Amino acid sequence: MLRFTLNGKTVETDLAPDTPLLWAVRDGFKLKGSKFGCGAGLCGACTMHVDGVAQKTCVLPLAAVAGRAVTTIEGVTATGAAEALQAAWVAQSVSQCGYCQSGQIMAASALLAQNPNPTEADVEAAMAGNICRCGCYPRIKSAVLAAAATLAPDAVVQGTPFKDAMAREASA
Amino acid sequence: MSQLSRRSFLRHSALAGGGLLVAFTLPGCSAPPRLPIAREQGDFVPNAFLQFASDGSVRFFCPRDEMGQGVTTGLTTIVAEGLDMAPQRFTVELAGAHPDYANPGMGFQVTGGSTSVKEHFTQLMTVGCELRALFLAAAAKDLGVAESALTTEDGMIVHGEARHPYGQFLTTAATLPLPEAVPLKDPATYRWIGTAFPRLDGPQKATGTAVYGIDIDVPGMEYAVVVRPPVFGATVASFDDSAARAVPGVRTVVEIATGVAVVAEHFWQAKKGAEALTVRWSASPLDGASTASLRADYAEALAMGGKEAESTGDVVKALAAAEKTVELEFWAPFLAHAPMEPMSAVVHVRENDAEVWAGTQGPGAAGGLVARHAGLDPAQVTVHQTYLGGAFGRRGTLTHVAEATQISKATGTPVKLLWTREDDLRGGLYRPASLMRIRAGLDKSGQISAWDAERAGANITPETLRNSLPALLPGMPEGIVDWVVGVADKAHRGWIVDHSSIEGLYEDYSLPNFAVRHATKEHGIPVTFWRSVGHSYTAFAKEVTMDALAEAANADPVAFRLAHLKDNPRMAGVVAKAQEAWNGWTLAPGRHLGFAAHHSFATSVAQVAEVSVDDGAIRVHRVFCAVDCGLAINPDIIRAQMEGAVMYGLTAALHGKLELENGAVKQSNFHDYPILRIDEAPKVEVVIMESQEAPTGVGEPGLPPIAPAVANAVYRATGKRLTELPLNDALRLA
Repeated sequence: MLRFTLNGKTVETDLAPDTPLLWAVRDGFKLKGSKFGCGAGLCGACTMHVDGVAQKTCVLPLAAVAGRAVTTIEGVTATGAAEALQAAWVAQSVSQCGYCQSGQIMAASALLAQNPNPTEADVEAAMAGNICRCGCYPRIKSAVLAAAATLAPDAVVQGTPFKDAMAREASA
Repeated sequence: MSQLSRRSFLRHSALAGGGLLVAFTLPGCSAPPRLPIAREQGDFVPNAFLQFASDGSVRFFCPRDEMGQGVTTGLTTIVAEGLDMAPQRFTVELAGAHPDYANPGMGFQVTGGSTSVKEHFTQLMTVGCELRALFLAAAAKDLGVAESALTTEDGMIVHGEARHPYGQFLTTAATLPLPEAVPLKDPATYRWIGTAFPRLDGPQKATGTAVYGIDIDVPGMEYAVVVRPPVFGATVASFDDSAARAVPGVRTVVEIATGVAVVAEHFWQAKKGAEALTVRWSASPLDGASTASLRADYAEALAMGGKEAESTGDVVKALAAAEKTVELEFWAPFLAHAPMEPMSAVVHVRENDAEVWAGTQGPGAAGGLVARHAGLDPAQVTVHQTYLGGAFGRRGTLTHVAEATQISKATGTPVKLLWTREDDLRGGLYRPASLMRIRAGLDKSGQISAWDAERAGANITPETLRNSLPALLPGMPEGIVDWVVGVADKAHRGWIVDHSSIEGLYEDYSLPNFAVRHATKEHGIPVTFWRSVGHSYTAFAKEVTMDALAEAANADPVAFRLAHLKDNPRMAGVVAKAQEAWNGWTLAPGRHLGFAAHHSFATSVAQVAEVSVDDGAIRVHRVFCAVDCGLAINPDIIRAQMEGAVMYGLTAALHGKLELENGAVKQSNFHDYPILRIDEAPKVEVVIMESQEAPTGVGEPGLPPIAPAVANAVYRATGKRLTELPLNDALRLA
């Protein structure tokens, strides 16, 4: 029995310890927000945070996260930058098919946690492991920078279309 | 000869199949199928598209499939405009399978060819306007006032100072006849069309809550991974599954038409089981084939001369009389679509019915395939459409749905089949490779006097029939399917030109003498529609040739194009707009511009690429893109489609190739089939031409010009005229 923290809760699994974290989370714990894209750590669709660091979980065996804290897209909204990122993502219509976007948000939120004021080059370096086949890159870059700006201590918070939209989603 | 565009081909083949459809599915056609809409008491469902609930909520059943192109936002906006109710007030549902959700331009349920807005605009605007008129009539009756005293505003009936939500009048509306001949809304009064607002699916997609086929979980579901032959055309000779069955979690191993399926409790166990399977494959005609041997076959086919598809004037005489000539040969490789979500489907076959959950470009076809392989009537199959994790044409061919059905039929359980990335890149259904040759001549005044173009390669049409007939006509026996496909295949080898193969080679410019020929060369490698189809390679050949001709004519490449666009105002408009960037952009040292323009899917696009070449690597820094797609429904979605098409096209232009080695596809994952990444992505500046013409598509037309624009810039940077894709390989060899 292997134990770790998933989105703040202690969980146990009897899956084989070589099972990649991605499949334990998707098939075992039924959290479907993290995606499978390549199975080889090449595209970043499966990105989660392990002890706050962005990791490609399609190649990360369960054994490697024993006793550690795993955060997925389902749990990240409660943490720091993710909400600002998601608001910028919605306002700028970053997503097209949307399939890679959980991974993009996870990579971006790990970046902002570590570097709250990134340059364009910082964003490119941090996000180069995440493929978007629809080619949303210009908007990803601009949304990360916009989120960083809203998180700055002296930022004037604009309207929150994201919150309105999420409220609609919740009530629907 | 008559030309068959992809769209008209599909329509014609569907119609041609009509007689067969009646013959094979008559029992299922006797009663109109029920709409796949769950109703509560008091709901008003006037048609297949809208459901008004007594609590005031309104659902829009989007007839086209959301693969990222923004169709759920676009089509909702059209119906919303007609109904006079903000798009954000609708709950958008992805429609299931039903004839009422047919693509009006094709006659059946398919999303492709950049047709959704173009084909549904009038239909959905009419639906919206008629229902608005109905609510006005119902409100007049309920309120006891003249209709002329009422108007509407954002989902409300306005009567003087009073405002009543549409939902207040559902009961009466349901009893009244739908008003006829309602005038369509005056474009001058559009409130949402033409306005950029955030996509409606944005919140779901930013929070990981959007549901794709891969995310479906049903009770008792098992996971399957299929081992398929390494060489196309091979089949299972024998297999040993003892090691696979010994993998913990593996439940069973099943042979199906395309290979051997390993079924397990979880995906990872199924994958480990598949790795432990030993399969012996039959021989294939492709054993030993390589990219070089295929290309040699295409060269031989070109040398023997192709079938003439289209011509005007006397190109032979014109070439002989030309003042200057240019002759270039072009190569474009096989490409995979590689959507981020690999192919996946959940199918549950039961004794008397079945269900399928998948994101496809044709929910009706998905249901048809399940019916065929489960031995059921299509009416017994329920189709649950999900979001598509990218498609680009790949999710129009549903062999994975057929596979999942065969497996579920064998196990009796719900089965989730998932292709790995390796399966995706090696499993076929590619953009066909092409060898093209253009010989063109200039007259004394520097105008094009002759244009002789040909292409050799595989045809998309027979493969499309092979995959679509069994899905669209599930009652047609396999033998007849094979016969129809065989006839189509022979016809395309002999006397018909598959227009998808040559589209875009000659149409855009004024050419007084031209001829276009096609040489079919089939090798049995499955091919299909890939974002922008034939245009994805013909634009490269055509637009690089245009630059070479401009140079021969000693003319500016943009002015040279404009001089040949006097009869094509839409193209001339975008070229003139892009000329502003061409002339106006200030360039840093080492940066060079390239230009290209192309018309496809009724939309014109011109692009300027700012490029540098450092240490043999091509880098694209900035792209200008002018697009004329008629009336702009949501300008921001049009911009996003142009940006995305540039990136998708750049992956192909700079990196994209699938190679054959000893009959097998060499590439396997993103390390050797690289996709453009954020640190290679250029800035893209999009200008949408002002237009009140009918709207046309934007999913594909942004792609064709980018490869030639970059190649033309590389020529200005290096003096090397690159005529092979991908360009980074060509530059290394030049």
